[in-house]
Amino acid sequence: MKIQLTIFVAAGLFFSACNKTDVAPVVVPIVTSTQSLTVNFSSTKSFIFFSFKDSAVVANTDSATTKWDIGLRYTTFILNGNASGPGNAGVSMQDGIFSSLNTAPATGYAVDTSRSNLAIKDGSWYDYNTTTHAFIPKAGKVFFFRTADGAHYVKMQLLSVDYLPFVGQVPLSLVYKFQYSYQPNGTKNF
Amino acid sequence: MRKKNLLFFILVLNITAPIFAQQKFFNDTLLGSSDPIVVTANRSERKLSNTAVPTILISKNTINKTGSLRVQDILQEYTGVTVVNSTLGTSLNGYPNPFGQGVQMLGLDPAYTAILLDGEPLVGRNAGILKLGRIATGNIKQIEIVKGPSSSLYGSEAMAGVINILTETPVSEKLSLQLHHASNNTWGSTISYTNKYHKTGIQFFLNRLSSNGYDLNPLLYGKTADSFKDWNGQLKIIQEISNNMQLLVSLRNHDSHQDNNYQILYQNAPAIAKGFTTEAERSAYTQLKWIIAPNTRIYFRTFFDQYTNHSFVNLENTNIRFDETSFNQSVVKPEIQLEKTVPEKSVYVAGIGANLEMINASRYAGKQQLATLYIFTQKEWYLLQKKLTLIAGARLDKRTDFNIHLSPRIAVAYKPNSSWKFTASAGWGFKAPDFRHMYLNFYNAQIGYSLLGNNSLGAELQSLQKQGLLQTGAVITNYRTTIPLLPESSFGWHVGASYHTKKITAQWGVFRNDIKNLIDVYALPFNRSNGLPIYSYKNIGSVYTEGIEMDAKYQINQHWSLSGGYQFLLAKDKQVLAQISNGQLYKRDPITYQTTLVSTQTYFGLANRSMHSANGKFLYENLTTGFDAYFRAIYRGKFGFMDVNGNNIIDDNREMTPGYWLLNLASSKAISKAFRLQIGVEDILNYTNVLQLPNIAGRTFFININYSLQHNSTN
Repeated sequence: MKIQLTIFVAAGLFFSACNKTDVAPVVVPIVTSTQSLTVNFSSTKSFIFFSFKDSAVVANTDSATTKWDIGLRYTTFILNGNASGPGNAGVSMQDGIFSSLNTAPATGYAVDTSRSNLAIKDGSWYDYNTTTHAFIPKAGKVFFFRTADGAHYVKMQLLSVDYLPFVGQVPLSLVYKFQYSYQPNGTKNF
Repeated sequence: MRKKNLLFFILVLNITAPIFAQQKFFNDTLLGSSDPIVVTANRSERKLSNTAVPTILISKNTINKTGSLRVQDILQEYTGVTVVNSTLGTSLNGYPNPFGQGVQMLGLDPAYTAILLDGEPLVGRNAGILKLGRIATGNIKQIEIVKGPSSSLYGSEAMAGVINILTETPVSEKLSLQLHHASNNTWGSTISYTNKYHKTGIQFFLNRLSSNGYDLNPLLYGKTADSFKDWNGQLKIIQEISNNMQLLVSLRNHDSHQDNNYQILYQNAPAIAKGFTTEAERSAYTQLKWIIAPNTRIYFRTFFDQYTNHSFVNLENTNIRFDETSFNQSVVKPEIQLEKTVPEKSVYVAGIGANLEMINASRYAGKQQLATLYIFTQKEWYLLQKKLTLIAGARLDKRTDFNIHLSPRIAVAYKPNSSWKFTASAGWGFKAPDFRHMYLNFYNAQIGYSLLGNNSLGAELQSLQKQGLLQTGAVITNYRTTIPLLPESSFGWHVGASYHTKKITAQWGVFRNDIKNLIDVYALPFNRSNGLPIYSYKNIGSVYTEGIEMDAKYQINQHWSLSGGYQFLLAKDKQVLAQISNGQLYKRDPITYQTTLVSTQTYFGLANRSMHSANGKFLYENLTTGFDAYFRAIYRGKFGFMDVNGNNIIDDNREMTPGYWLLNLASSKAISKAFRLQIGVEDILNYTNVLQLPNIAGRTFFININYSLQHNSTN
């Protein structure tokens, strides 16, 4: 039933693109969201797990499930798959403008092959500023994720990474602000 | 001070001959010349008006009129010379900057300008910067600034140019005393004595300078600049051995004591760290000048310079040593130079020498040595009744760790009449990887990052990993083998014109420098276990700098003169430009989060460079009443400071420090034949910027009492 609906929606899209008639705009069932995730500023404390489908943080007790897609702490991303989890998540990082990159790559998804060889290399997505100690996400980096179930695709870009206001000398948390689209129909098109 | 000295025309501008100058800069050559003599541009004496490469001359008289005791304050009043902070130093968030400030010329960092004292290069650069505070101003005879690649004569470091600080040569008996007092409880005292007994000339100089420092941010514990005490001394003896042989011996020392007092983080709690830094420099220079034939002379020179720096802080409560560093660098430089003149036709200069450097520092991996052997040659021809000057020269440098490096230079000057001069010069410059690029092993205890030299990177990473100080999972295999750094090399040219009459002098110049194999800091793809980055050096980039410079001076009347200068500068990274034109460089607005492509128009250029800089000066001088007043305005246009929009380049106004003015005024009056009183105010507008320009103290006042007694030499 769901598949038929998707075909119907896709067909609707197709026709709406071709027919310049007064057809009502079709609601694309893509999950689009801007999220702020508070993450431990520590390379030893636990990861914060996130599910793109549910736009929600997943409890640490579910770390051995495929409920989460990515995990974050400090400046480290882990993906639910291979060395990091039971899932089949992968990532392909592309350069471009988020709104213009509308197709996830067919192949070339990197995975966390080992604890020491993660798919998202530290420092690949930010520039560290020694003056403000800020981790500034590189502009024009678009992350295409394959989710933990191995069957859905997400495009994501980081908007900002800031320290949570803190008392004392050491920041405790980083707030990752990111924007993403989750395609529930299983295609690579956004 | 004798009035004769005051007659000297002030050289506010560098360009052409001052009109009334009568000083005998050198007592053995070019006597009676009305034109000041410079030595840096050609490594032999020339009239300033005859140099074919851009040369600025700052006379003792001008230095005296500013009343300043700091070389960098004097230098920054000249067009195209900017005093900049080490970017590493400004990253300390208002803490005292241990790296100091250096001179940016032609848009190149301080590491690319050779700093010479009496023609010899000083050692002891920290993060590429040689602290100019090591040189006292009290016995400076003149400062010569040569802009443009000068590696053909001076080798490495002279890529952007050369600043040569020349100390006084004994001509006659003269005693000078100075007492200096300024804001921030700054006290200076100087004694200087020169004499010439028959065939022996002697110059003695001693200076003490101390200050309480200043605090630009009262909310932050500690001062922006800590209190210090400096001592400088020099003894120079010139002995005429025979009619054709002269021996010069010069001994110098500099000692400095600076307090350290700041807040740090110790075991996750704030703590106070206190200690001090001592610096010591000893140098010895001997030169034997042998006039073999009337127009042929040979110089035998040896230069030794040793700089040491020892710094520590203890935790205030427990007296536990929190940080301690030591730095010891020395150079021995023997050299032979030959000079052969064919009067009215040509001058030939050639030399051979060696540079033996040693470094032993806590921040470097062990004791390191480097040896360089060099030869240089230059010929200058005078053609068309001396209207045309042609110069061609080259230098070969062979250092132990890289292949022979060739640095040629050509220059031409054309003087169609007494008013106009047209010049063109082109040269190749280079800068050898220095100790810091190769062997640095620095961990910043306050912030937590590491900076490792290229040659010690592999071993140090392995050691960090063994100690568990690397991020879990860091892959270091690619860094185990050292890929040697190449010398940075440049090609630069300058085309200029100057015009001078009794009332007006003006000059224009256009320049461009292309630099490749630039060694820069890069971040490794993994961090320390504390999460902070590890940096090292590699030949990353190619950049260019280009610009226009203009200077003009107008002598309004006998008393008033007015001058101004302006530099337009572009300094850009070629790889960034390529990325922009390939549509590969993006920016993300930090407010709207809109990501767009960067355009060539919005790319401002390399950080820390101002597109516009300017200066203006008013001088009033009355020789009858013995009064003078010297007002200077220095403008530094906006310059890039840090990235905010996610592309690590300067392309947004929010990434820049706004332009600023520094206004300085000094005025002096002769009280009696020997006494002169001077008062002044610096930074009249009280401009400060604690984060980005912590070296600017804000408005300060000073008073100088000068006593000077001079006898004419009888020989």
